[in-house]
Amino acid sequence: MERDFANAFGVVVVGTGAIAELHIAALRANPRARLVGVVDTDPGRAAAASRANGGVPGTTELAEALGWPGVDGAIVCTPNGSHGAVATAIADAGKHLLIEKPLAISTAEGEAVLAAFRKGGGTLAVAHTHRAYDYSLAVKQAIDSGQLGDPQLIKVSILGGWIWGDWSAWVLDPSKSGGHQMHNGVHLLDLLTWWMGDRPESVYARGRKQTAGEMAIYDYLEMVLRFPGDRVAHCEMSRAHRPATLFHRDVQVIGTAGTLSLPWDGEQSLVFGEQGLSNLMPVSGDGFARQLDAWLDAVEGGVPIAGGDEGLFAVAMAEAADESMATGQPVPLAGIPAVTR
Amino acid sequence: MTIDVLLAGFGGLGHQDHQTTMYAPAFAAHPGFRVVGVASTEGDEQRAQDAARRLDVPCHDLDTALSTVEAPVVAVAAPAAVRAQVLTTVLRAGRHVLADKPLAPTLTQARQVAEAARQAGTSVVVAHHHRLHPMIAAGAGALRSGKVGLPWNVQADFVVAGGTPCPGQELLNFGGYPVDVVAALTGLPVHRVYAAPAGALTLLAMDHAQGLTSTIVVGRATGLAGVNAGGLAQHRYRVSGSHGVLVLDATKPAVTVTTANSRSSQWLSIDTVTPLLNTLHTAVTTGRPTTAGLDEAVRTAAVLDAAQRSLDEGVAISVAPNGEHR
Repeated sequence: MERDFANAFGVVVVGTGAIAELHIAALRANPRARLVGVVDTDPGRAAAASRANGGVPGTTELAEALGWPGVDGAIVCTPNGSHGAVATAIADAGKHLLIEKPLAISTAEGEAVLAAFRKGGGTLAVAHTHRAYDYSLAVKQAIDSGQLGDPQLIKVSILGGWIWGDWSAWVLDPSKSGGHQMHNGVHLLDLLTWWMGDRPESVYARGRKQTAGEMAIYDYLEMVLRFPGDRVAHCEMSRAHRPATLFHRDVQVIGTAGTLSLPWDGEQSLVFGEQGLSNLMPVSGDGFARQLDAWLDAVEGGVPIAGGDEGLFAVAMAEAADESMATGQPVPLAGIPAVTR
Repeated sequence: MTIDVLLAGFGGLGHQDHQTTMYAPAFAAHPGFRVVGVASTEGDEQRAQDAARRLDVPCHDLDTALSTVEAPVVAVAAPAAVRAQVLTTVLRAGRHVLADKPLAPTLTQARQVAEAARQAGTSVVVAHHHRLHPMIAAGAGALRSGKVGLPWNVQADFVVAGGTPCPGQELLNFGGYPVDVVAALTGLPVHRVYAAPAGALTLLAMDHAQGLTSTIVVGRATGLAGVNAGGLAQHRYRVSGSHGVLVLDATKPAVTVTTANSRSSQWLSIDTVTPLLNTLHTAVTTGRPTTAGLDEAVRTAAVLDAAQRSLDEGVAISVAPNGEHR
């Protein structure tokens, strides 16, 4: 398909950190959309992102960017703690939004975002990108095909090493990130509920401050979801593993009629180098491209890969996980708003 | 030195008969032991008589066997309902014991057996034989030598494919194996357990001494192509440490054989029951403490008891060092 810039869906990218580059790459490859400009509260970063993207307009002011001609929607990649306010401003401007996970760092804030979008009329999608990778789609497809019978137990582990810079990293500040369970944990909590095709009754979580006891967040998480009818899901999410070169993704599903396994060495190449064993990142489809396509479809009446309801429920599960880690007991999920689709 | 053995009891949980399927053939094949008699316990008379005929040894009830058969070792695999009572009787008769797993159906009974063994002063080896798998023994050695630094998490999967179900008792049936292997790998007792049910499977989230955490998935899945009925579909452990990760899959080693009609994984049988009998032989002949002994088995029983309580109550349960719950 040829690009039709005049009619392409105009997007501003808000927040220009590492994850924004992946969204911008997806925009660049999609003939239906175009990057109109970039926003970052840091003027230096805004200018750098502008330069890196062919001199598109850059600004530190979201309101200014939302007023640029040709802006239909925004992709938000700001620190988690700002998501609620940024998303609400975009909703109030009547624009569409694809927001990085988590939707917000509290259910109250998330509910406010959903209310703002109901009022503003824009389409809201949440970047639970793991739903859009080949590996997770293959798992989903196998479960939904019925080959495994009813899934009774699902496990997913994603383990890696330290990537968060030094003590100045915003992820390490729970007031900015919501903690690891909110920052990355939501990915796996969302995946497990999506794969299971149901919502859990309770969350039991354990966290470790493995890299340094002085941290205010847990760099290693284990979370157990209990579903109605004696079904269980378990996930591990780690930025605590050593050596830091480790990348370990492992999925297993045990159903009433069969099992599925995606072992840790099932989708990646291993490198036996002079420095020891390392692995290449799995090539598992371009989740960002799929996610962008689905958002653009949703704007035209389709369904996003994960919408506001799913984003809100992931936040609720992460909030419950945080409470569970504080109390040491499972936390019921009663009272979480039901999904509307 | 050949040690005479009495086989006592031919039952277990549900329809199990590990005496016939595992211990009798292993003792018969072991050069250090000789089966000299068979004892029935309760409801297992037919199996006992069948075994006696096969082995060409006398068959008695337990009391008669203990008073007439001169065997310093008794292999006990009695039906669950009478297991603790049989073990206690055998120990009070001053015999060394190979005890089928679970040692007893309840923690209280397991502790009664342990007390009887203490009073008798004889050796008890409990059939938690998976800790003797060569890969697991090698993994434990690697951990002790600091290959991954200080371990802080273990993930374990112990999933049996098909076979004869043990309805409502799969945790008691299989749980002791991976709980015991995690104990063998880490050497760290469990302080707290949260258990979640998934049909014939259970997820155990355990907190250990030194802050180590572990998660075990244990139980029975449906029958699976390529896995013998009742065989292990998954048996793996991942140990994360301060300086590295140990990834151990005890369903390996295997060669994969593929033909026009089938694919299967095959290897020379990895026998963990013979090393168990070696352990028993050493314990009896030298008096040395065993590696699969009663103290560990009672700790395992305490973990499974706490797990069952967690399943019943839906909360995490603390396990005190003496095996009591809080």
